[in-house]
Amino acid sequence: MNVKEYIQSGVVESYVLGVATEAERQEFEQLCATNPEIVEARNAFERSLEVQLMQDAIQPPAFLKEKIQLLIGSAGSETYQPEIIEEAPVRRMNVWKLVAAACFIALLGVGYWAYTSNEKYNDAVARQSSIEKELQQKNTQLAALEQDAGMMQKPGIKMAALKGTPNAPQALTTVFWDSTSKDVYLLVNNLPQAASDKQYQLWALLDGKPIDLGMLELQQNRLLVKMKNVQNAQAFAITLEPKGGSPAPTMTAMYVSGEL
Amino acid sequence: MGTKQIYEEWELVTALRSKDDQAFGYLYDHYSGALYSVVKQVVGDTEISNDVLQETFVNIWRKIELYDETKGRLFTWMLNIARNAAIDKTRSKGFQQSSKLQPISETDGTYATVKPGIDDYGLKRLLFKLKEEHRLLIDLSYYQGYTHEQISKALAIPLGTVKTRIRTALSQLRTLLQ
Repeated sequence: MNVKEYIQSGVVESYVLGVATEAERQEFEQLCATNPEIVEARNAFERSLEVQLMQDAIQPPAFLKEKIQLLIGSAGSETYQPEIIEEAPVRRMNVWKLVAAACFIALLGVGYWAYTSNEKYNDAVARQSSIEKELQQKNTQLAALEQDAGMMQKPGIKMAALKGTPNAPQALTTVFWDSTSKDVYLLVNNLPQAASDKQYQLWALLDGKPIDLGMLELQQNRLLVKMKNVQNAQAFAITLEPKGGSPAPTMTAMYVSGEL
Repeated sequence: MGTKQIYEEWELVTALRSKDDQAFGYLYDHYSGALYSVVKQVVGDTEISNDVLQETFVNIWRKIELYDETKGRLFTWMLNIARNAAIDKTRSKGFQQSSKLQPISETDGTYATVKPGIDDYGLKRLLFKLKEEHRLLIDLSYYQGYTHEQISKALAIPLGTVKTRIRTALSQLRTLLQ
């Protein structure tokens, strides 16, 4: 047989890559035993293949390494057992104890792994549901704010800036009055905190007469507070009244006022 | 697991045979990328590649006793474990249902799975430099694991021709690798 031709025939590569037939494989292994040249050719191809594939490496995801190490942690003790059994059949009892211990340890390992994965899973589920809940809340809030913002831009809306009186020079509120639907909305820019037994009351003023527009109950995360409707108004004012409101405004406790 | 130590191949094999965790860590860090790349070329899908790579390393660890250094390098041995695990996976029912792979028997003369695409890295990239008839045979035998007889039947090419073509293709592949 011409060794050079054999080497050139592609059989080396077939063998190394594992695509040789069973007969080719056996022949190749026999020839390797007596022909250093063939072994050399095989070695050279193996090295160039390895170099190429190492260059083309793609990093597997990081979690895999840990997972595999956990798996072989128990696999390692399994593969050791048969050897001990073969070598020392007289100490059968001890071997079985060892096997049992190894199985137990393996079981503990698996149990621990299952437990921690389950823990992690539960944590993740809990976190996800709380995030979902929060998202839903935020969405509701956003929708409300958008609704309020849209309200202020509606055609036919009239606006009155109510400025602070000497009672509270810094105070400022804004009334939006929808001339079509007659709805009244209040935007609180700045009002001092009311004492716990007091409450702000909004009034419309028409021809010098006050009309009660209701008590101010601030809602969280809303820009606008909807007050009572009013058919017409020339000005608005807010007074601080005992909780529940008064039939007529306490003029000395007026905090803001302004014309429409 | 510290993997700073560098092993010669025989040292690595000896350490693995004595079930040295640290050696396994090194083996994984060093070779997982190359094997993963080959697995991905066979199975494609990422999650399945993860399963196959996991199976590959567990088998390497378990079967290291069977590795025979007179028959080839450690990397070659591992490469064949990875390739076989990947091909086995493509033969499983679950995989076939979820993939577009056609059984070889349904293919006619127009069969051509080897198309340029995102998979062309590594050996596959080199494959595109081969003639179409050669490329096809390498794909069927190396990446899909069909025997020469199966290929001969499916493509209606005489068995002898299949053998010659595969060998010719492979010796060209060697030239391309150099």
